[in-house]
Amino acid sequence: MTATSTRRRTGSPRPSRGSAVEWLRRPRPPLAPPRWLTIAGIAVGAAALAVVPLVNPSYINLTVTLVMIWTLVGLGLNLLVGFGGQVSLGHSAFFAIGAYAVAVGGEAGIPHPATLAIAAALPFLVGYVLGLPALRLHGLQLGLVTLAMAMATPAAIRALEPLTHGSRGIAIDGDPPAWIPLAHDQWVYYLALAAATIGYVVTRRLARGRLGRSFVAVRDAEIVAETLGVDVWRTKTRLFAASAAYAGVAGGLYAMLLEFVGPENFNLTLSISFVTLIVVGGLATVPGAVLGALFVQYVPTLTSSISPAATGAAYGAVLIAFAFFLPYGLVGLVRAALGRLVARLPGRRGT
Amino acid sequence: MLLQQLADGIATGAIYSALALAIVLVFRASRTLNFAQGEFALLGAYVSWQLVVWGLPVWAALPVSMALLAVLSAASERALIRPLARRHQALPLIIVTLGLMIAINAVIGWAWTYQTKEVPALFGGGAVDLGGVAVSRQDIGIVLTVLVVAVVLGVLFEFTRWGLRMRAAVSAPESAELSGISTGRTMTMGWAIAGAVGALAGTLIAPELFLHPGMMAPVLIYAFAAATLGGLDSPVGALIGGLAVGVVENLAGSYLPHGSDFKQVVALVIIVVVLLVRPQGILGRREVVRV
Repeated sequence: MTATSTRRRTGSPRPSRGSAVEWLRRPRPPLAPPRWLTIAGIAVGAAALAVVPLVNPSYINLTVTLVMIWTLVGLGLNLLVGFGGQVSLGHSAFFAIGAYAVAVGGEAGIPHPATLAIAAALPFLVGYVLGLPALRLHGLQLGLVTLAMAMATPAAIRALEPLTHGSRGIAIDGDPPAWIPLAHDQWVYYLALAAATIGYVVTRRLARGRLGRSFVAVRDAEIVAETLGVDVWRTKTRLFAASAAYAGVAGGLYAMLLEFVGPENFNLTLSISFVTLIVVGGLATVPGAVLGALFVQYVPTLTSSISPAATGAAYGAVLIAFAFFLPYGLVGLVRAALGRLVARLPGRRGT
Repeated sequence: MLLQQLADGIATGAIYSALALAIVLVFRASRTLNFAQGEFALLGAYVSWQLVVWGLPVWAALPVSMALLAVLSAASERALIRPLARRHQALPLIIVTLGLMIAINAVIGWAWTYQTKEVPALFGGGAVDLGGVAVSRQDIGIVLTVLVVAVVLGVLFEFTRWGLRMRAAVSAPESAELSGISTGRTMTMGWAIAGAVGALAGTLIAPELFLHPGMMAPVLIYAFAAATLGGLDSPVGALIGGLAVGVVENLAGSYLPHGSDFKQVVALVIIVVVLLVRPQGILGRREVVRV
């Protein structure tokens, strides 16, 4: 049985002073900053994020909102791929379902923040149903199915024309309700901030709690997990459903932000950037989603000034390089760089 | 009308067969899917096009492009795949071949721009009337070429010493190593042949689809469907699967409402149904796991 785990167990005998590659590849524990630093960091970060939309022009709010949307997708996808070991190259499909839930819901007269609930519930259901057959597929097969799903998404949207208006797309009114004194970009920013914060906290708790541990157990040793009382069937379907719901909410916010959805927004490139996001950020790490989101938002703007092909080249090279040298992504790199420093800070709880 | 659809389906199906054959060769060699297979084929088509522009006749350009792609494919196996294949993990391999797919596509776009190019048909223009069905010479040529390639590969695998080694290395790697077969070399060989077959498929289909960087992505997904249907480790299965997928795709495109859109969902439906109903495909061997 081939295990689809993403990290090797740490017990393997290795030279303590290996090459630079060995040093990069070494798994490391999460940073354990002292409590005062954590609290200060959260306070400063929260204050900064709350102020950003009030002092910046709308195009900056737009990109920061996009970063939070990608973060949300990354959190969900990492739950599935990183913690669960289930490959998905098709999260653009769930993202699209969420976006269209908001668009079609808005057309049907449902007020807008409420449509986000549909954007979470519908992909959750679809993810659950898809998770059932996915239970029987492993590694490569699941990759194949989800890749086909990503490629079929734009066509499926066009084919469902009565609902989606095909290639014409749907315009969305993303303005806040009249009693909220915010501009469109500020309103969606705060919605995305709320969603990403909730997503982050929930994922963190999931990852460290009983459910997260059962995900990892199923990933690393399915039969052992089952013997120890983990319900593999329920774990996998829930995992798929939860991961799809994250992508759905993100898609809904994306639709509200751009105020338009069309089939071509949800092509294979989007799915690939999601995969790049979690690989770059760090598989099976929660903060990785944020670093990966920053990467997929800002690197294409940098590379597209070089050549329209440079983004693809950069993504491809980065995927290969990270798979070889940085299996724990940027988070692994940060841990390697700051681990000793943080360990020396005063005020840590006893270790 | 129906006969015409069938004939067209078989012609496109033959291309899916060829690419599915490449996928099967890679799968047999390293038990993985190469998501970059389509882009290898695309690169082969571009190399052929470039050589034709430089003045080579297309039938002379084809072998050069096949040889080049064989080397490239073998090199990527040695450099990128083998170090990861040893770890028996699906995810890093998927990530790496996915990265290869995007990178090759970007490099192609960079080198040859995103404008469409015209590749001369290997078997000339014009059509032949076969019992009331108009079939282009190129289509007939494609089907025959793919058949010949499949038969040659089949004979190579089944009746030669080298083929025996190849099969031994796949079915019992440890015993094969012990009896002096280099499994590493057979893996590289599998990738090399896959690269060459891919370049052939790319060059053959390019005149019909018009050469541009997005040309192979849809073809790849149909080829995956074909390989899944036929059985991922069966070359004959790939051939049959490709033809079947080509015919189904064409019929769906013509007879279903919103045909041209539903057509693109066909691959997904085939893959899902096959994997759920008969995961080993029509002719594949069932994978048995001893616990």
